[in-house]
Amino acid sequence: MKRFSILIVALLLLFPFHLQADDFFEKQVRPLLVAKCYPCHAGTKQSGGLSLETKAGWTKGGESGPAIIPGDVDGSLLIDAINYRGIEMPPADKSGKLKPEEIEILTKWVQNGTVDPRVAGQQIGGMSKADSKTWWSYQPLAEVKVVQSPKTIDRLINHRLQAQGLTAKTAASRRELIRRATYDLTGLPPTYPDVIAFEQDKSPNAFLKVVNRLLESNEYGEHWGRHWLDVIRYGDTAGENSDRPLPHAWRFRNWVIHSINRDMPFTSFVQQQLAGDLQPLGDTVDLRNDGIIATGYLAVSRRYGHDINKDIHLMHEDVIDNVGKAFLATTIGCARCHDHKYDPITAEDYYALYGIFSSTKFSFPGCEPIPQPADLVTLELTGELARLYQEYLAAMAEYEANKPNNPEAIAMLKGLAAKSVTVLGTANVGQSGNEKLEEHLGDNSVRQIKKGEVLQLKINRNANYGADSTGILLNIQNTKASEKKWSSQELVELIDSDSPLIEVRGAKWAFLDATDGPKYLITKKLNIGGHAALKGWAFGDNPSVSANTGGTTVKAWTSLPPKTLFTHPGPGEDAAISWICPEDGEYAISGHVLDAHAGAGDGVTFFLEYFQSAEFGEGLAALGEKNGNLTPPTPLTIPVAYAVTEGAVSDAALQLRGDPEQAGENIPRRWLEIFGGTPTQNPQQSGRVDLASWITSHPLFARVLANRVWQWHVGQGVVATPNDFGSRGSVPSHPKLLEFLASQLVANNYRIKPLHRLIMLSDAYQRSSHASKAAHQQDPNNKWLSYFSPRRLTAEEIRDSLLVVSKELDSVPGEAHPFPPESTWNFSQHAPFNAVYQTNKRSVYMMVQRQRRHPFLSLFDGPDPNTSSPVRQQTTVPTQALYFLNDELFHSYANLTASRILASYPANPIIDELYQLLFQRLPTEAETDITLQFINTYDGTDEQKWQALSRILLSSNEFLYVD
Amino acid sequence: MSHRIQPHINGINRRSMLRSSLAGSLLLPGITECLAVDDAGPLAAKETHFPAKAKNVIFLFMTGGVSHIDTFDPKPALHRDHGKEIKADHPEIKDRPGYERIYLKRPQWEFSPHGECGTEVSTLFPHVASCVDDLAVIRSMHTSHSNHYNATLGMHTGSFAFSRPSIGSWVTYGMGTVNQNLPGFVVIAPQQTYAGTQVYSNDFLPAVNQGTLVVPGADPVANVKPRIPPKKQRQELLALQELNKLHLDTREHKGTLSARMKSFEIAYGMQQAVPDAFDFSKETKATLASYAIQSDSTMGFGWQCLAARRLIERGVRFVELIDTGSSGNWDAHGDMMTHVALSKNVDQPIAALIKDLKQRGMLEDTLVVWTTEFGRTPFNNTADAKGREHHPWAFTSWLAGAGVKSGITYGETDEHGLRAEVDKVHVHDFHATVLHLLGFDHEKLTYRHAGRDYRLTDVEGSVVKGILS
Repeated sequence: MKRFSILIVALLLLFPFHLQADDFFEKQVRPLLVAKCYPCHAGTKQSGGLSLETKAGWTKGGESGPAIIPGDVDGSLLIDAINYRGIEMPPADKSGKLKPEEIEILTKWVQNGTVDPRVAGQQIGGMSKADSKTWWSYQPLAEVKVVQSPKTIDRLINHRLQAQGLTAKTAASRRELIRRATYDLTGLPPTYPDVIAFEQDKSPNAFLKVVNRLLESNEYGEHWGRHWLDVIRYGDTAGENSDRPLPHAWRFRNWVIHSINRDMPFTSFVQQQLAGDLQPLGDTVDLRNDGIIATGYLAVSRRYGHDINKDIHLMHEDVIDNVGKAFLATTIGCARCHDHKYDPITAEDYYALYGIFSSTKFSFPGCEPIPQPADLVTLELTGELARLYQEYLAAMAEYEANKPNNPEAIAMLKGLAAKSVTVLGTANVGQSGNEKLEEHLGDNSVRQIKKGEVLQLKINRNANYGADSTGILLNIQNTKASEKKWSSQELVELIDSDSPLIEVRGAKWAFLDATDGPKYLITKKLNIGGHAALKGWAFGDNPSVSANTGGTTVKAWTSLPPKTLFTHPGPGEDAAISWICPEDGEYAISGHVLDAHAGAGDGVTFFLEYFQSAEFGEGLAALGEKNGNLTPPTPLTIPVAYAVTEGAVSDAALQLRGDPEQAGENIPRRWLEIFGGTPTQNPQQSGRVDLASWITSHPLFARVLANRVWQWHVGQGVVATPNDFGSRGSVPSHPKLLEFLASQLVANNYRIKPLHRLIMLSDAYQRSSHASKAAHQQDPNNKWLSYFSPRRLTAEEIRDSLLVVSKELDSVPGEAHPFPPESTWNFSQHAPFNAVYQTNKRSVYMMVQRQRRHPFLSLFDGPDPNTSSPVRQQTTVPTQALYFLNDELFHSYANLTASRILASYPANPIIDELYQLLFQRLPTEAETDITLQFINTYDGTDEQKWQALSRILLSSNEFLYVD
Repeated sequence: MSHRIQPHINGINRRSMLRSSLAGSLLLPGITECLAVDDAGPLAAKETHFPAKAKNVIFLFMTGGVSHIDTFDPKPALHRDHGKEIKADHPEIKDRPGYERIYLKRPQWEFSPHGECGTEVSTLFPHVASCVDDLAVIRSMHTSHSNHYNATLGMHTGSFAFSRPSIGSWVTYGMGTVNQNLPGFVVIAPQQTYAGTQVYSNDFLPAVNQGTLVVPGADPVANVKPRIPPKKQRQELLALQELNKLHLDTREHKGTLSARMKSFEIAYGMQQAVPDAFDFSKETKATLASYAIQSDSTMGFGWQCLAARRLIERGVRFVELIDTGSSGNWDAHGDMMTHVALSKNVDQPIAALIKDLKQRGMLEDTLVVWTTEFGRTPFNNTADAKGREHHPWAFTSWLAGAGVKSGITYGETDEHGLRAEVDKVHVHDFHATVLHLLGFDHEKLTYRHAGRDYRLTDVEGSVVKGILS
């Protein structure tokens, strides 16, 4: 403090008065006002009617009169208030009473005439331009060289400890330290031999060796990748009303883990997540694929509503909100409806970024009204898969070459048809209509038909009508031989045949597009609309002859009754089924045509036609047979990513009050105004490449990341609000430490492994966690770090540790989740996707569902997959204790742990072994006494005794807490 | 805080009952009394912004959208104008094939006045009708979304898209709870409603404020049923706490370690307290019959209602009852007659709950809330269509109990029940009113998250003064 005052005096001596005063205001007063007073007395917030944003504001004052009388310290209400005389400002429930040195600054300011150069109205969002220029977190970082020594960290922390009158705790024991470091870097406990080896390693760099070993393990990426997944609210479902699974999102999750393990510079790491598809890290297939997969970050954004395309503006808000918080600790999301109230972010800024994302095509997860996923990004093939794909392409080419519907043959058939056709009957089938064929055939319902001649039931769409589902039934009965009968009903079971020409007891059925000559419906359709029971044949995309092959009604575009054959004429397409007569005879014709899509449109017209030409029928059959095997080659499962690509590029219009239906002016795609407002470079691109470069080159990026790394190591950030470095966030507890860590991060090319070493080698990190009562009383939140804050294991660490000690852990990285196949999905808001998958892999590989929290993760404060979780809560609630008392899975972990060690006997070594396994130490005498007594008095078999003891030890505080 | 707890249970002071279950250690007096956890934890009872009568809430949520015009909002003009074509810029018919033209559709149930107040209720709710003198029926409710998911989320969290803390979480966050052996916020639901666990999630509020799910059945609360005999469990816990104590003794500052030891004590107690709350064997046959509970059955809303009373008796702060899941509910697109079975499931139990609470004096400090996520359209695309569609423009909710004016109706819809017209009450206003009844200024019950002070009512909401007693 003393040095501080001397500095001010020195400044005052050096400059002419008004310059000194301006400088004093800018350097000392303004930041203080902004941080401590503006939250309630600036912009739209004028608590008690007082604005402290301008001279006019404090001259006029609030309800209690002028706040400041320049030069009059005793007469200025502001000075009374900050000294808590009468009025108490800032109030205790806000930032609390100012520090003495801060009171001194304001007092000096008033005393020396209250020079105030601020000009009103020069606002950006919720901050004046001038204020935002001096906002601490936006300032450039000093350029520094890489240092290996943690001395600076300790100097900065110890300095504050001294100032607070706190004493640093001594170092933790070796056992505590290696357990702390192992959980910290891998989320898993150390082994007993690890601990012994470290305890016995007398070399000066023993701990560095441990740290380096842990940093090289795969488990490191699994643990620190999880940290990142918390921040970017990773989830394995889309979160919209039916919470659809994202079967390909895992590639992104694993990319995160892999990249963290490789210590990818965070600039590249983030750049890939925003624009890896456009700017991969190298020109190889693997790196190009990685770039695509990395953009899964954007794709896993939350989706909203019933038809997610209608609520796409909310997805964009989720994206912008997360980009702002995760990379810049800036709350940009609130500017969707209006300018930010406290930070220099405007609604225009929001829509400038919005344009970048609305110019991007996101993989579509499907939703209730549009069930099929779309726009998944195909990955390039390598190795064996690439060779198989070439084979597939060749088979496909052959299939295409033999494709049916030879135009010459069709022209010939068309001519024959025109000459030979008789319409036996026709009728309009209206709304909900059901027309019996025989009622419209008259005398034609029984007639002579010769071999090769053709009966055809053709369904025409009526005028102004697109498509409709029409149930059809055509029965043909030889009047002289009762066994010689054919019915289109049989086709329901046969529709899955290889060809749209199906032979049944000598007769042939053909599925045709009859718009302009007979054309076979050559494309087999399975899983129509995502329903396994719906199959059919089409020409192009629209199913034209289809069937509900199942035993129950299928609710697709309409309710389709079971075991029914349909025609579905498309716009401009008439569909038909034809029957080619197997032998001369007299045939009775019956059946019906019914509207299966009641309530939509004006119906169809059927024509029952008779082609009195064997040449026509034989030609038709030949055209169908020539098609050969129509089953296309089985497609290869081409790996796809849930990712993004460039979309239709354009600027977005501002949405007034956040309402997408109220478009304002178009906002050019650009960077935030406060950071320069640079426009995107290439108007043909979305601008994601630019955005990535703006973000990763801003000093906030390094500060925010350095703060997170520090927080993940010591339990709290230098800035306690890691997602908010704006005026509503906390101020840094150790500003210089944050600057040091951030500039070291930059100097190390944004690699975080060097930062781990630097932090973990510091005394501050290695202190004992056994706080003295006095230290705790003076600094209850351990803000000044006089000791290491002990912590409870996270949900994932608890589960992973239980898997380790029970030897159940499957350490092979997880890949895809066992979701049901896409073709079976019919999730809706009434019956949303819901599953919990049992696995013995590490918890980072568990399926994380958005609409329904995983019961275990939720019980132990797991991350929220719907929004960024920068800090894990650590609650202690009785329902957690109930888990240890009665959960089935916990009991089985304990039993397995017991069986592991039961082999050894007698009792003492078993207890020793349990302690080594769980706590990486031997039991004390007192502990041996208690546990032995327990074993001796507990009623049950040996196995039951040891299972009980395992439960106890796995429930203990020592197992659950890291010192 | 203690002065607020009223005697309830057959002359036994509820406070003394709570104290007896908290006092000392059930398990290991020798060990855990030395823990002396200074604060009672984040759920300790807290003062509200201003004194209020309501201390507890029973929130009855009917899933799927109950038709207001067939239950609590009589519309004679719908009979007169049945079949008449109307025009409306309604979200459910916009761009929907087959809905180019819409026609008014008459209610299918008769209304008649009930009680001294004469509030009209339809024959779907004959038992609730017998309680109208205790109700404040709000007929001018409206909401911001016509989708189940969003409207359900909105009714529970005040947010129609994003996950936010549930109303029960806000209440326990604001008030704490008085029985540490039971959760402060309990949700009894046979199935999950729309939006899944989000409707009772604490979201960014501290996790202790999360709703605890009770699923009617043999094991209503997860992990409460002991897996081993009590004697053995006690022996295990004794050893656990002895070992924990050795671990603790090496430290000057106990931090959350002692709180965690204490949590095992409470969990041990919960193994008794929770089943006890759901053990109806001491209830009289008359009581069980009044709730329409079949013997030994946990089926039906009666079980949920009686469980709610018993939980409130035991100091649980906020009990939500959800009647059905996200399918097979009040969502009567196909046929309004499905309302018959659904109302039958809830009608008698709800009336029994109100009468039971009243008779025990518990309605003095308990607020009963009945609502759904939206109403149903007074029209359809044909006049003789059997069902009704989603209707966010108007629906009915009601309140009863502490601080609520009884025997009134509040607000009106237009003559066809199409739009809330007089004294409109939005979901945000509804929430503001519930919080007010509990002693909170809804603008001041806030939580700082990501740089913003969030509240249940977002940036809206005003207290419906007309229903306050």
